[in-house]
Amino acid sequence: MKILRFGAVGLAAALTLTACSGGGDAGTGDATGGAQGAEIRVWLVGTDTPDEAREYLKSTFEEENPGSTLTIEEQSWTGLVDKLTTALSSSDSPDVVEVGNTQAATFTSAGYFAPLDDIAQDLGGDDLLPGFVKAGTWEDTFYAAPYYAGSRIVFYSEQVLGSTPVPTTLDEYVATATSLRTADRSGLWFPGQDWYNALPFVWENGGFIAEPGDDGTWEAGFSSPGGIAGLRQVQDLMTNASNAPKDGDEAELQVPFCAGQTTFLSAPNWIRWSIQAPADAETPGCADTFGADLHAFPLPGATAGETAKVFAGGSNVAVATRSANVDLAKKALTIMLSEEYQTILAENSMIPARISLASALPDDEFTQASAAAAANAELTPATPKWGDVEAQKVIQDALVQIAQGGDVETIAAELDATIESILNG
Amino acid sequence: MSSTTLPAAPPSAAPVPRATRAITPARLLPWLLLTPSLVVLVVVTGYPLVRMLWLSVHEYERAQLLGVPAPFVGLDNYVATLTDARFWAVTARSFAFMLVCVTLTITVGTLVALLLMRLGRVMRLVLSIGLLLAWAMPPLAAMLVWGWIFDTQYGVVNHLLTSLTGADWMGHSWLISPLSFFTVAALVIVWGAIPFVAFTLYAGFTQIPGEVLEAAQLDGASARQRFFGVQVPYVRTIYVVLIVLSMIWDLKVFTQIFVLQGIGGVKSQTSTLGVYIYEMGMAQGHYGAASAIAVIFTIIMLAISAYYVRATITEEQL
Repeated sequence: MKILRFGAVGLAAALTLTACSGGGDAGTGDATGGAQGAEIRVWLVGTDTPDEAREYLKSTFEEENPGSTLTIEEQSWTGLVDKLTTALSSSDSPDVVEVGNTQAATFTSAGYFAPLDDIAQDLGGDDLLPGFVKAGTWEDTFYAAPYYAGSRIVFYSEQVLGSTPVPTTLDEYVATATSLRTADRSGLWFPGQDWYNALPFVWENGGFIAEPGDDGTWEAGFSSPGGIAGLRQVQDLMTNASNAPKDGDEAELQVPFCAGQTTFLSAPNWIRWSIQAPADAETPGCADTFGADLHAFPLPGATAGETAKVFAGGSNVAVATRSANVDLAKKALTIMLSEEYQTILAENSMIPARISLASALPDDEFTQASAAAAANAELTPATPKWGDVEAQKVIQDALVQIAQGGDVETIAAELDATIESILNG
Repeated sequence: MSSTTLPAAPPSAAPVPRATRAITPARLLPWLLLTPSLVVLVVVTGYPLVRMLWLSVHEYERAQLLGVPAPFVGLDNYVATLTDARFWAVTARSFAFMLVCVTLTITVGTLVALLLMRLGRVMRLVLSIGLLLAWAMPPLAAMLVWGWIFDTQYGVVNHLLTSLTGADWMGHSWLISPLSFFTVAALVIVWGAIPFVAFTLYAGFTQIPGEVLEAAQLDGASARQRFFGVQVPYVRTIYVVLIVLSMIWDLKVFTQIFVLQGIGGVKSQTSTLGVYIYEMGMAQGHYGAASAIAVIFTIIMLAISAYYVRATITEEQL
C-alpha cells in the first residue's frame, strides 16, 4: 500500500510540474544596445507585403546602416492585438510593427508607439493618406504612419458567370447571387465570420456601427432600422446564396474560388495574385483555370451607378516605444514609406500610403475597381476601445448566429448592447 | 497569467521543527536541502501570485504596462467580477464541463487499464505505444489536427458520416452550437488525458497481490464484485489523486478551448474560466479585472488542492 501511494503521489507531482512548465516563452533575442551593430526587428502581418518589398527593405536598410541587420518577422492577423500588447510592453519588443488601421488607436492611446512628429515630413507629410494619418494620431501627436490601403471588390470568373449580367445595384447583387447558387457552387462565398463584407449592407441601408452622442457616450446602430435591413440582406445572402461554413472566417479565400465553389467572391483586391498564382505554387492558385478569365467590379450601391460604402482596409506602421534603437527603427520606417518601397506596394495593387504614388498602380480592372470602391470607404468608430470590440469578436459572434438563421432583431439588439458596454465602459 | 500560478500542491510538506528544540546543524540540514526547490517555487509560483494579488486591487490597463502609475481601487475589481452575470455563466459552464470530462476520463481510463491487464504482450505493447503517442503530442499540435478532422468543409468526420449514412454531412459545422462545441472539446481533452490515467491505474492494478484476487474468486466473488470489492479499494488513493488532478487540469483548460474558438464556434457562448481570464486580460487589456477573476479562480483551485493534500497526508499518517 505504502509503495503504491508513494508512487502515485510522486508521479502526480512530477506531472503537475511538467504540466506547469509547458508554457515556456519563445527565446529572447539578443538585446544588442547601441546604434552600431544593432538588430532591428520588423513585424509584418500576414502575407500581404510582397517579397520584393521585403528584400528591398532589408538590403536598403543594411546598406544605409553598415553593421546593423534588419529581420522581418511575419505575424498572423489572428490575435494580433493580444500579441502586440505583450510584445510591445516587454523588454524584448520588436522595433517596427505593422498594425491594422482599426487597431492603431488601441496602442497610440496607451503610449505603445514612439511619436513620429519629428520625421513626419520625411515620411511623406501631407502626401500621406489622410484617413490613415487620422487613425495613427492620438491627441494631436502622430504615432503610426499609413502603410497601405485596400478595399474589397467582387471577383468572378467569366467561364462561371457566363451570360448573366453583372449586377448594378446592391439588391440586384443579392438577387443574382441567390439565383446562381447550386448545391455545389455558392452564388456568393460568404462565411459566417466575414464581418468586413457584412458592413457595406448595414451602411448602404442607412445603418451604422456606432456613433458618439452629444455627451460623448457611444450609441451602436446595428439595431437601427437601417442596420436591421442590412443584416437581413446579410442573412439572406448567407443562408440562400452561400454554401460557405456558417462559422468560417475570411482567411484563404482563393481556395474556394479556385475549387470552383463560388461564382462571386468579395475579397481584398490584392487577392487576385493569390488566385492567379500557378497551381503548383507554394500557396497554390489557379492561373490556368478559374483565374484565367478573372474579372472584378466594385460592390454596387443602393442606386445604380454608385458604389457601395465599403470597409476601408489597410495597415499602419509604427515604431515601438520600448525599441532599443528608436532612431534606427525610425530609419527603417522611413524606408518603408519611401517612394521606392511604396512604389513596389503600388505595383502589387496595394493602394500606397503616399497619394502621389497612386499613378504607379497597375492599370487593370482590379485596381480600378478597387480605387472606385476605396473612394467610398468607411472606417470603424474612432475610439481606442474599438480594438476591444474586435478582440472580443462580438460582431463575428453575432453574424455567425445570423448565418444560422437566428432572429435578426434580437441578435442586433444584443450586439448593440455589447458594443455600447465596451465603448462606454 | 493564472495558468502558470495555479499551485501544484507541493506533495511533500517539510516537517515543521518544534519551537522548543534548539537549532542544530542536524536540524538545518533538511532546510538546506530544501532551499533550491523552495527558491524555484518562490520565483516561479510565489512572485506571480503576489503580483496577481497586487494587480487585482489596482486599475491596471494597457497604459500601465508602460509605466503609467496604477491607481489603487480596493475591492472594486472583485465587486465588478462577482456582480457580472457573464462571470457566473462562465464559471458554471467551466464546472459542468469539468465534471463531464473528469467522469469520462476516469471511466474510460479505468477500462483501458483493465484492458491492459488482460491483453497479451504484443497487443499491450501496441496499445501502450498508442497511448504514449497520444500523451506525448503537444496540445496545440493535437488541436490543429483535431480541428482538421472536424473541419466543416474538408473534415474527415463529415466525409465518413456522408459515406456511411448516405445523408449529406458535408458543410456540417461541429463547433457552431455550444453543445456540439463542448462535445468535440471534451473528446479531445479526454483523449489527451486518458493515457496518464490508464497508465497510473494499470501500475496500481498490477501491484495488487494475485492471491487476494484468487482468494476472492475462490470465495465465489464475480468479476464485478472483485473489481469493486478488491481492486478499487486497493487503489483508492490513486483514484483520489487522479480525480483531483483531473479536476484541476480540466478546470484550467485553456489551449484546447482557445484553439477551437479560433477554428469556429461562438466565443461568447464557449469561453471557460481560463479563456475568459485571457480575454479580459490579454485581449482587452483589463489586467486588474482579469487578476481579480484569477484570484477567485485560484481560491477555488486551492480548495480542491487542499482536499487532495489533506487526503494524502492523512493516508500517510495511518
